Amino acid sequence: MSMADALACAIADAAAGALPDPAVALRHVAAPGFGGTALFVGTIRDLNHGRAVVGVSYDLYDALALNVFRRACEEAAAAFGPAIRLYVAHARGRLAVGEVAVVVAAGTPHRDEAFRACRAVIEAVKHQAPIWKQEHYADGDSAWSEGCSLCGGDAHAAPVPAGPA
Amino acid sequence: MTATVSVRLFGAFRDLAPAAVVELPLPDDASVATLRAALEAHGRGHWPAFQPGLLAVSVFASAERVLREHEPVPRDGELAVLPPVSGG
Repeated sequence: MSMADALACAIADAAAGALPDPAVALRHVAAPGFGGTALFVGTIRDLNHGRAVVGVSYDLYDALALNVFRRACEEAAAAFGPAIRLYVAHARGRLAVGEVAVVVAAGTPHRDEAFRACRAVIEAVKHQAPIWKQEHYADGDSAWSEGCSLCGGDAHAAPVPAGPA
Repeated sequence: MTATVSVRLFGAFRDLAPAAVVELPLPDDASVATLRAALEAHGRGHWPAFQPGLLAVSVFASAERVLREHEPVPRDGELAVLPPVSGG
């Protein structure tokens, strides 16, 4: 199998009824020679900074987000592969508490590479991908999350604190 | 020469313009820093809810990558302004 087939990145459109699917992720990273699989599933919490949250809307710059996902997977494959399969999917649109916002999976021969690759990719998704979260509160108010500033000019942007994380 | 560029708006900036895009006239050799100044001037002049502090911590990007402040504005594809991100 080629390296391109081993890396899969997707955006799931909640308005069309799609959400990131951990089962799809696990199927994608499975292979006969892989004894270790790590899975990260990010879901919508019901509380943020002490405020009751009823839902979250995600805005994405799709084209750049998919490029960032792909680069994160390629970097993880270079660091922890070449025997590796990776899957990333993030939701777009409005999600309710408990729904899946993001899934990352890594399959490798042994557990250490799987855990490390999965961690590296989810950190890149959180800190480098053009994705914005608008929280909807129980009192009817909504607010865009403060987030992390992207660093200009390269594909390895590091997070810069921009208020409470 | 001056030509108009379109800049897509995301996150909190999306609320400022219904179409989520802003058209700005820019000199052909404009840098990203010049684009930033033009967007700030436009925001202050047209958008009562504009937050200059949010623009200050935002970056500009193409569909491929985040742009450096001192590089020329690419004229052959999409442009976007990206406020601080909060995925996951």
